[in-house]
Amino acid sequence: MAHIEFKNLRKEYGSTVAVKELNLEIDDGEFLVLVGPSGCGKTTTLRMIAGFEDPTIGEILMDGRVINELEPRDRNIGMVFQSHALFPHKTIYDNIEFGLRMKKIPAEERRIIVKEVAEMVHITPLLNKRPGQLSGGESQRVALARTLVTKPSTFLLDEPLSSLDAKLRRELRAEVDRLHTRLRTTFVYVTHDQEEAMTLADRIVVMNNGEIEQQGTPMDIYSNPKSYFVADFFGSPSMNLINGEIVEENNKLAFKNNQLKVQIPDHFSDKVSGKVTLGIRPEHVKIKTDGGEIQDVIDLVEPMGKDTLLYFKAGAERPFIVIIEGLVTNDFKSGQSVGLDFPDDKVFLFNEHGQRL
Amino acid sequence: MGSNNLAGTSVNSTREMTRARAIKRFKWITISPIVVIFLVVLMPALILQLYFSFFGWTVYLGSWWDAEFVGFEIFEEVLTDERLGWAVIRSLYFSFGSTVGCFLVGFGLALLMYRPFKGNAFYYIMFIIPMLTVPIVVAYTGEMLLYQNGPINGILSSLLGHDIKVSWLADADIALTTVMIMEIWNWTPFSFIIMIAGLASLPKEPQEAAQILGAGKFRVFFEIQLPLLRPVILLALILRFLEAMAEYPKIWSLFQGGPGSVTETIPVLIYLTTWNYFEISKGAAQSYVVMILMILIVLGAIWVLRREKTNLDQMYK
Amino acid sequence: MRLNKRNKKYIFEGFRYSTLTIWLVIVGFPLFWIVGTSFKPDAEWFAWPPVYWSETPTLSNYANVWMGKEELTVTQYAQSMQKPWKALGNSTLVALVSTSLSVFFGAILAYGVSRYQVLTEARMFQLLMLRMVPPIVIVAPLSLHYSTLGLLDTHLGLILVYFLTTLPYAVWMTKSFIDEIPMEIEQAAEILGASKWRTIWEVVLPLARSGLVATFLFILILTWSEYLLALLLSKTEVVTLPVELSKYEGSTEGRVYGRQAALAVGITIPLIIIGIFIRKHLARGFSFGMVRR
Repeated sequence: MAHIEFKNLRKEYGSTVAVKELNLEIDDGEFLVLVGPSGCGKTTTLRMIAGFEDPTIGEILMDGRVINELEPRDRNIGMVFQSHALFPHKTIYDNIEFGLRMKKIPAEERRIIVKEVAEMVHITPLLNKRPGQLSGGESQRVALARTLVTKPSTFLLDEPLSSLDAKLRRELRAEVDRLHTRLRTTFVYVTHDQEEAMTLADRIVVMNNGEIEQQGTPMDIYSNPKSYFVADFFGSPSMNLINGEIVEENNKLAFKNNQLKVQIPDHFSDKVSGKVTLGIRPEHVKIKTDGGEIQDVIDLVEPMGKDTLLYFKAGAERPFIVIIEGLVTNDFKSGQSVGLDFPDDKVFLFNEHGQRL
Repeated sequence: MGSNNLAGTSVNSTREMTRARAIKRFKWITISPIVVIFLVVLMPALILQLYFSFFGWTVYLGSWWDAEFVGFEIFEEVLTDERLGWAVIRSLYFSFGSTVGCFLVGFGLALLMYRPFKGNAFYYIMFIIPMLTVPIVVAYTGEMLLYQNGPINGILSSLLGHDIKVSWLADADIALTTVMIMEIWNWTPFSFIIMIAGLASLPKEPQEAAQILGAGKFRVFFEIQLPLLRPVILLALILRFLEAMAEYPKIWSLFQGGPGSVTETIPVLIYLTTWNYFEISKGAAQSYVVMILMILIVLGAIWVLRREKTNLDQMYK
Repeated sequence: MRLNKRNKKYIFEGFRYSTLTIWLVIVGFPLFWIVGTSFKPDAEWFAWPPVYWSETPTLSNYANVWMGKEELTVTQYAQSMQKPWKALGNSTLVALVSTSLSVFFGAILAYGVSRYQVLTEARMFQLLMLRMVPPIVIVAPLSLHYSTLGLLDTHLGLILVYFLTTLPYAVWMTKSFIDEIPMEIEQAAEILGASKWRTIWEVVLPLARSGLVATFLFILILTWSEYLLALLLSKTEVVTLPVELSKYEGSTEGRVYGRQAALAVGITIPLIIIGIFIRKHLARGFSFGMVRR
């Protein structure tokens, strides 16, 4: 159980700044996900908690105590590595037992704990094998078990699932979630996969260029992105983002680019002008077979099973996508012209600097 | 700089500092035995060598510390000595010849063998044996094969139908080439194993991509494999050349510089000057000249190798 | 006629095997000859036409060289005065100790370089100087210096120079093995509570073991066959096997090919066995980070 706090944390490597003045509190028992593109400073932050990197400036506190000076092994944390980092020359049993031996726990007790934990992550049949004989999913479970036995106050997980295929990833994601529910200790999880972040986190911290871009619950991040970056990063398929500018027409403001023109909702009217980006999530666009604010031609119909994706040009650099529930390939054909409606409360506008208006 | 000063005064970096100090201490612990042995063993020798180069002394002249200061006299004598010039030329000839020979044969064999085929392991094991043979043994084996009544002349005789008695070891025109051939026999495995490791480590995809794009075997070789192999090729050539410059066991044990002085390479000349003529000072000055020459060559080699390694590091990032 | 793929393959295979076989003969014949000569009785050493395979093979050369026995052969040559067993002892001691030192300190330094950059890359390359400058340029003053230190003609004297001249290879080679052990594995041990030394003992050493063994044997080949330094720094008391062998050449009784061959075979066989044993790692000893895997 641990409460972690960063105070003005900064990390420089020579002249490059990996993490800029980070201030963050992680509550006891919270599942916090650090998410962002590669090079955003999320892994560096995690490794500073572990003690493998020393902050250039700033303090890391654990339960109110500064731990900057503690060696990794004295911080009572567990870490699961991206590469799993199992000891290839030891059996799975010895791998899991390692942490207990380091803590000088008597042999008898060690055996019981290893058995128990192996049971917990379903790897009992593997105990006599060596890491080289395991599949990716199995070795990830072992890595989890090895960390679990030492009963750390905090779990650090560095992209633990990124080396696995999609199906296994989903399976182990659920496993991690279950573990957290069961243990109720602090989890700090680093990933570049927004889906993992959305499904696992109590709270998401979005990082970009060494800074916190936004933090909040998954729902909050998804439905209320504070910036172009966050809006673009979350959601699959991602939010439709169209560049254009604000023009005044008949005393009303409208968004316009060379292909389309839309009225913008009234609540924006006093804040916006000039060049902006309009954003709307694919599932929020309403399709009308007749009428509708914008007329556009369907470029491509992509049936996904449960949903169908419709692609439009809509004046965007990348395809404008609309999701419709159900398989609707009979109702919509490419080349067909349909109407698109943007509900007022679902439209976002971002200024030139990417800030939400 | 403001923020950096802040960092320096911050309490939080003390762990980093103690760690940096620990690493520094570890560094000195690990290097100190080497430094100590260097200072105790090599350094005094280098100083003595410098001393002898400026103070004329031969073993007939009493105690060495009573030698007379003669300034650059010995260096002048050595630098204008045609014999040293010839020794350098012979060493370069010997090294170039054996390096190129080893490389061509080694690379050729590696090209034939880097892809798995039946008998691979057998040929590989057989082909590395010469490198594992003690050089002095190679010398004597060479002598037994090449001496006038030896089997090489024997085989040539039976092939040509009359007695051939080439004096491989005594003919002044071919002696240096003979020992060069022994060197090539001895060290072709060196080029072979480096080139085969290099070839095996080349990524396959670019080669296959080139093939799909319509390149034939030769095109793939010259446009993909050869450029990618450049660092390994340079390594094989440079290391072999440097080791050949120091070759001593074969030339000395078989020829002692003779017949005449046709096999008098740098190491042989320095040996003769010092241990046969007892002209310690002259030998020291020769050594100094050669050492500086070699250090320059090695520095050049290191520069080339480092440049290639930096290239590689960027390529395989 | 255009060749199809299959015919091309046959032609290539034919070319491959014939070329390799030619080189096999070039490599094999001298080896065959020295082994053959070691079993030849005295009269066949210099016979013309040469005797390719003795009709009356004998062990007398081995007996003479290694046991000092003469009764097995009728010979015009005097009994060998050499002492190969003593030389074997010297060679073994000098090679084992200097190689151990070299690999031990080399591995520690390599670990520091691999994990903490205690030497810059430039320094690592400068280390090669110890090996690349021909030893002949330093050996004369070194022997004088050794004589004042009392190291001339001693085991320790040879061990020290061998240690210095093989160190660059030891550092580079062990580093290539240590580099292959992922940092994350060490960090995993550390975060599970292992101290630095514990981590090295339980994780790094076991994973580097085969590499260290390969390096050890590789360096052993170099120290075992060294000639120049052994000849000039310890010629009379501490004679190593290669120097011992070269003494036969200067013997007053003339050239004694059979004896030389018997000794040469004895010196070389251990190296060939070692070399074949570590053949997969041989290239690494010389690759200095240039061959990527």
